[in-house]
Amino acid sequence: MSGIGKYFKLNLNSATKQTSGSCGCGSSSGGCGTPKEDTSETSYGCGNTSGGCGSQPQSQTHISDEDFDTAVDAAIGEECKKDGFDQVFDVKMDRRTAFRQLTASLMIGAGAVSSSCSVISDDESKEKAQIDWEEQFKGNYKLMTDQEKKATVDRLVRSYQLRKGKNITMSSKNAEEDVLFGYAFNISKCQGYMDCVSACAEENNQDRNSQMEYIRIHEMKDGKGFKFDEADDNYYHEVPAEGHFYMGTQCFHCDNPPCVEVCPVQATWREEDGLVVVDYDWCVGCRYCMAACPYDGRRFNWSTPEVPENEINKNQHYLGNRMRKKGVVEKCTFCVQRSRAGKNPACVEACPTGARIFGNLLDPDSTIRWVLENKKVFRLKEDLGTEPKFWYFMD
Amino acid sequence: MTKKNYIYILGCTFIFTLFSCKHSESEYHSITDKIEAESKNYHGTSISSEQFLDGVETIEITEDEHTFLIPERKSQITSYACTECHTKPLNQMQNKEGAKKAHWDIKLAHADLNTMNCITCHNGDDMDNLKSLTGNTIDYNRSYKLCSQCHSKQFEDWKGGAHGKKVAGWAPPRASMTCVNCHNPHKPSFETRWPARFNTQKVKERE
Repeated sequence: MSGIGKYFKLNLNSATKQTSGSCGCGSSSGGCGTPKEDTSETSYGCGNTSGGCGSQPQSQTHISDEDFDTAVDAAIGEECKKDGFDQVFDVKMDRRTAFRQLTASLMIGAGAVSSSCSVISDDESKEKAQIDWEEQFKGNYKLMTDQEKKATVDRLVRSYQLRKGKNITMSSKNAEEDVLFGYAFNISKCQGYMDCVSACAEENNQDRNSQMEYIRIHEMKDGKGFKFDEADDNYYHEVPAEGHFYMGTQCFHCDNPPCVEVCPVQATWREEDGLVVVDYDWCVGCRYCMAACPYDGRRFNWSTPEVPENEINKNQHYLGNRMRKKGVVEKCTFCVQRSRAGKNPACVEACPTGARIFGNLLDPDSTIRWVLENKKVFRLKEDLGTEPKFWYFMD
Repeated sequence: MTKKNYIYILGCTFIFTLFSCKHSESEYHSITDKIEAESKNYHGTSISSEQFLDGVETIEITEDEHTFLIPERKSQITSYACTECHTKPLNQMQNKEGAKKAHWDIKLAHADLNTMNCITCHNGDDMDNLKSLTGNTIDYNRSYKLCSQCHSKQFEDWKGGAHGKKVAGWAPPRASMTCVNCHNPHKPSFETRWPARFNTQKVKERE
């Protein structure tokens, strides 16, 4: 009761609206019999709540549903609805925080103003500053309207053009209705050629310096089963090696993703078509999601990702392969820039053995559905209840 | 304890069990339930892979309940039609001893010679077509019919989509590669080779 009580007392400015009729306060320090209007000072400690013992005016002892909603609304409602700039600045805060926020924004503002209003800097740098300013204070992609999504994508494209002088195309295509992406991996077909890993790194503009790879191909001994501790995921010899089999792991796009659950800023979420995506501009780099993922599906940018200009894949998606920055988490998106356009992910296309099958789980005539219904499929760590949409099967 | 208290506790327990039975977040118990329920009202999507099939000539085939596209084959064979050279039946075209044979580069590495040789699939009297084990004509565009005579399990998987690759995208219409798009019919097994990459950073990280 005390937890909820705080809300009421803090925001209605009157402790008397607590509806706990039976006044269980051990040491009521006062107020019984003396109606008090302003009890907010004493109301923080739960043990010595002061109000409410039948002595209050009748009109205040009961609270209607409507009042309750307005109360909650007044307390946290706005924060729920606010986004971007407002979420930071348009909230109640104490003096110290306010000064801190003001100083920070003054610094940013001064920088922006100096470059955008300066008479000596040219139009291009002004535009750059304007874009940076708007990008800095944009909201979470998940909460954006379609126009806002388009606006941020346009800004990013323009920004790239201004900086690198090259044109990229970036999509903000939303999830399509009646689509749920799923993946199947044929363990008996994979030969360990790693063409998928290469294609993935090229398609998704992964950092070449740290040689980031979303996909891992594990070389396992025949007859030992899945023993990841004994498997080798960085072999370099002729494949397939005698007495070994190969299986790949990557982000499994769980339907009940633990990584999404733990994100403190909601920078990662599951889209309607089942893809688990990251807003690289909202990620704070805490890496909780990496700890939460039971499949080692996520990668962290310890340094600014670098890709040679001529190798950059310029067909991009906001949630997919656009350039990341230092200190953010990224992962496989089933090549959202390709899959939402109807293509297969790069790994599926690159696989020379046909071990990788991708498709729409909701389409009863799709090949992925045939595999699920006719082959003996299983998933990794199924008992965790994460519901990965990535099935393994054998011939 | 009064009767009221009992009723109160009972009521609380009832409400508690009522709410705890239902999983708080998803309406489905598992992903398979979700797939089953949500695909009942599947109306198709606007996403199509047709644009990616531009420039790929395809033919439509129907095998059992599966209907899909496969790439057209004849235009991809370098010197089709074969009768452009094979103007006469094969036994009348025998080369002189010692001269280099026309298809010298083809070495059959497909089953053993007890099981197969050239004329298991080719017909010396009708070089423009393939022939089945019983001597029926099989079109080069439908060469999968030839393979499926022995590889029936693979054929089943291929029809359903568990074996082989799609030509372009996951979206309908389905266009699947046919056997000979991945396998060399004269030497069908995949060769060993080196992996496409080796991660030197990973080695450093794990030192």
